[in-house]
Parts: sequence; structure tokens; C-alpha cells
Amino acid sequence: MAGIVIDQVRKSYGALTVLKDFSLDIADGEFVVLVGPSGCGKSTMLKILAGLEEASAGTIRIGGRDVTDLAPGDRDIAMVFQNYALYPHLTVASNMGFGLRMRGTPADIITRRVQDAARILDVEHLLERRPRQLSGGQRQRVALGRAIVREPQAFLMDEPLSNLDAKLRVHMRAEIGALHQRLGVTTIYVTHDQIEAMTMANRIVIMRDGEIQQIADPETMFERPANLFVAGFIGSPGMNFLTARAQDGTAHLFGEVVPVPPGADGTITVGLRPEHIEIGPGVVTFMARPSLVESLGSEKYIYFEAPEDNRAPGFLTRSEEDRRGDRLIARLINSGPVKIGEFVTLSFNPARLHVFDAASGRAIR
Amino acid sequence: MKQGLPTRLLLYASVILTCAVLIFPIYWLVVTALSQPDQLRQLPPKFWPDEPRWSVFSKILDERPIFLWLSNSALAALGAVTISMVVSVLAGYSLSRFRVRGGQSLGLFILTAKMLPATLLVIPLFGIFRMTGLIGSMWSIILAHATLIIPFTTWMLKGYFDTIPRELEQAAMVDGCSPLGALFRVILPVSAPGLAATALYGFVLSWSDYAYARTFLTNAQGNWTANLGITTMKGEYISNWADISAASILVALPILAVYLFLERYLVGGLTAGSDK
Repeated sequence: MAGIVIDQVRKSYGALTVLKDFSLDIADGEFVVLVGPSGCGKSTMLKILAGLEEASAGTIRIGGRDVTDLAPGDRDIAMVFQNYALYPHLTVASNMGFGLRMRGTPADIITRRVQDAARILDVEHLLERRPRQLSGGQRQRVALGRAIVREPQAFLMDEPLSNLDAKLRVHMRAEIGALHQRLGVTTIYVTHDQIEAMTMANRIVIMRDGEIQQIADPETMFERPANLFVAGFIGSPGMNFLTARAQDGTAHLFGEVVPVPPGADGTITVGLRPEHIEIGPGVVTFMARPSLVESLGSEKYIYFEAPEDNRAPGFLTRSEEDRRGDRLIARLINSGPVKIGEFVTLSFNPARLHVFDAASGRAIR
Repeated sequence: MKQGLPTRLLLYASVILTCAVLIFPIYWLVVTALSQPDQLRQLPPKFWPDEPRWSVFSKILDERPIFLWLSNSALAALGAVTISMVVSVLAGYSLSRFRVRGGQSLGLFILTAKMLPATLLVIPLFGIFRMTGLIGSMWSIILAHATLIIPFTTWMLKGYFDTIPRELEQAAMVDGCSPLGALFRVILPVSAPGLAATALYGFVLSWSDYAYARTFLTNAQGNWTANLGITTMKGEYISNWADISAASILVALPILAVYLFLERYLVGGLTAGSDK
């Protein structure tokens, strides 16, 4: 086990820079999740860490040892791939012991370690099978087993759950978390799924266009997003964005005067999480007419239009798939019946608002 | 989707017709070999001889050095396939995996070599082999066949390697393999069907050659390949087509054996299970 120091790592393909001065200190035993949309550079960073891609600049130290120019096999790391990458011509036992065999480990030690890992992952009965005879979840376990038998200094995981169905994904998420608790090995995990990031990480690194947007623990990431991108990326459903003009520590939202941080001046973007909107009167009360109501049993998602004065531009959205510049969402718990087209009283506490500079997108506190 | 009766009838008729067209020449070769020479040109033709001449095969084996010709053909084919596979595995893998300046043009240039007619290469190859003293030796035919086989097998293998997930060799490298180690320990075992198909293609190409053997080996009777040997059975005025057909059947048998041996590797799906 070891800490990892990534210092000013950059990756360029000709004129195109896909990773910009990435620096990160990872403590021994920490579980760090790199998260961001497709093409943000998170997998590239992981491959550079593994030695599968060469960095254009910067250094990487694992356990205090400079590994920047070392071959992947000399870095003492193990990697779990998105598509598992199990060797199809080998049995499960041979797959798991392959790395140890490459290092000249005696056969009896390989057998013992493979048995131990198989017991931990509950794949003992599969050891003589070939990968094609396994289900998706079993393949995932074998891929994890191949990583843990090596007892490496760090685990690198590249979207290991993205090929599993929703139910199995939740199960394996918990298993990987438990495995990390048990083994205590430094883990760097790449995903585009913010729920995986929030539930598994000690610290999250949010990336966009090759740049780190924020590094924080999940709670801080949710409560104090550094900028509009982070605010929109973390949380499901995504944060609502409204535009307002701030003056003398106040702004107009839903026709009401609400307090904003003293640093806010001029055009601002205000973020309001769907779960912070409540049914019934509150500190700031407004009426809304739902255009769509989605009931999930104990909770409802209510979609309604933002007031014309507060409509944010369309690009201020959580993701490309969820483009809704003029539509807001409220997530109501045990709200009772709510009907499409019938006015409903909603409220929020202004202390829960997130305020961002409209031009730079940075949070104003 | 369930097919209607007319569609199924049409499909079966097409399959039967195609099989008939493919099998008829082989059937006629057997009929010719087993018929009395004077029965071959009779009208209407006989579709099976009254008294099949099964002894024709032992007669041919006694009269002609068929086994020598076959062993020469096998040596030429095995040699050419071995050289071709070594070169085209490395070339195909490089073209599939490495992005180098001009790599794509180089790949197309290799393929262009396949588009040239084989006879076009005979004259320059003859010049080279004469200068190097290889005319008449088995090396001339092995190297000439390799020049024919390599361009196409390189592209066949490149296409096959393209279908293998890169993560497999990346996983092998993280597990401690060098890039070449990953190729030999993981990629090649996984590529067995592609390698078998490619090797079979090369073997057939070499086995069926006549033009190169005729050009480079005519004066070296001990090195004649089967195809070259059979053509010497054709006389200037009289040709015994029954004997020639019997020899042709004997020469075709090894190819059938090679196919049966490689068939288990030819079935795809070995990579199944490596990924999602």
C-alpha cells in the first residue's frame, strides 16, 4: 500500500491537450474517484497512472518512488478494466494467477493466493471455468480477483461497473466498497456516474475538458460546489439554475426579495436543489403550475416553468441529456396529491441557495 | 422471423444448386479417374463407370514419384507459410496497434503488392534467384510463395487483431508482460482462429501454384512439386486423363487433411468472455 503523488501531469496529442496540469496527492489507503462527462480526460489520467499512456509532462510517484518512466508491470499497481479484459483462453484460476506467474512467484504461493482471493470474492466454485462460461457479475468478480491476488500498492479501476445491469451495479458497488474497507489498498476509481462517486469515494475529483474542477469529499462537493459545472454535475435530479440581478445583498427570485451573499453584484446565477424545494408555505413562498408530475411512490418530481425574469440560459444545465433552461424540478417527499396544470404552493429557504457569478461560473460565498 | 414455404423452397433450391455446381467437377474428376481411358469421350457420357478402375491409384504411385512431389509441395507450402506467418503476424499486429507516421500508407502499399498479378513478379524474382544461385532450389519456391502470401495474410491478420480488445494486452502489460510478451502470451493464443484461417489460406495458395514452380524448378527434377509433376504426365500427342485425374485426387488429399486438422481452430468465438 502506498500514497500516490501526481504532479503537473499533462497529456497532449499534437496541438490538442486532453489533460491540463493535473496535480493530486492521494493518501495511503484512500479511495479517490475521478468523475466527469465523456472526454473529460479521466480515463487518460488513469492510463497514464498505469503506464499504458505516456505523459507529455509531469511526474507520478507511487509510494515515494518516481514511476513516471516505468513500464506498467514495474509500477506495482493492478487495474480493473471497463470490459474486464479477462484472458479468454485461460481458466479463472490461471487468469487470477497470471500476474504472479509473470513475476516468477512459486506455484504453491500462487495457488494459495488465488484460493484466498477466490474465497473473498466468492468465486471458489468457478476457478476451473473459462471466462465465456461466466455471467457479467462473475466476470467482474474475477477481474477484481486478478487485481487483488497481486497485493499491489494501488488499485486502478476504469468504470468497472458500467457494463452491469442497474441492480447488479448497486450490489457490486457495495462489494467494492467493502473490499476496500477490508484490504485498505489505495484505490483510484474512474466513473462518469456521479452516484458511484458520491457513494464510494473518500474524495472526489471532478473533471471537465481535461481540467480539475474541484477536489473534495462527497459532502463538501454536494454542499459547497466550487462552480456551476460541479453544482450541475453532482446531485440527481440536477440542480435548478435561475438568473437574477443582485444589488445590496439582495436579489429578486419568484417575485420575492431574497438575501444573497454580500460579494454578489450584478447578474448572478442562483442554484436551488430540487430536494430543497418544499410543498406549502415557507421562508420564500411561490406558486407553481406543474407541467409534468412523476410519482416514484413516496416522492414526486414536479416539473414547472421558471418565472420569465429568472430564466437561466439553456446551457446552464446538469448535462446535455437534461437540457432545461426554463424548466425547474422540485423533489417532494410525501407531498400528497399534485395534479398537472393545477397551482401548488411551494417554498424554499434562501439559506439553501447556491450563488454563482454569471460570467465566470464561480461560486460566491 | 418465420419464413413462408415458397421462401424456404427457394432457399433450399439455391443451396442445392450451389452445392451441385461446386461438387460436380470433383465428382467428374473421380469418375474420370475410375473410367477406362476409352470410355471418357463416349456419348452419352456415363455418370459412373461399369467397372471402376480402383487400381489406378496404386498404378500411379508405382509409375510416378507422387510421394516425392507431394513432399516437395508440402516442404514448399510449410516453408512459405512459416515465413509468411512470422512476418505477417508482426506486421499485421503493428498495423493494427501502432499509430506511426505513414503507417496507413505503408499498409495500403503492402496490399497493393497483392493486387499485382503473380506472373508480373516472375521475371524480377527469376533475376534475383539467378543472381543468388537459388534457381532450382526449394528456397526459390519457398521465398517466391512467401512474396505472394505475405501481403494478403498481413491484411487478414490486421483485420483479425483489430477485433481483439486492446484492453487484453493492456491487462497483460499491467500484469508484467512486455509488449512482445503480451503478443505471444495473450494475443496469439486468442487469435488461434484467425491464425488458422490465414495459415490455411497461405498453404492453399502455395499448394496450388504452378507458374512459379514451372519457372524456377523445371530443370531440377528432384524438386518438382506435385502440380509441376502432374503436368509432365500430359503427353504431346496422347494424354491419359484417367491417370492425370487419379494423380490430381492424390494431390488434393493433403489439402483436405490440412483443412480437417485446422477446422477446430477455424470456428470463431474464442475471444467470447474476455469482455462484457
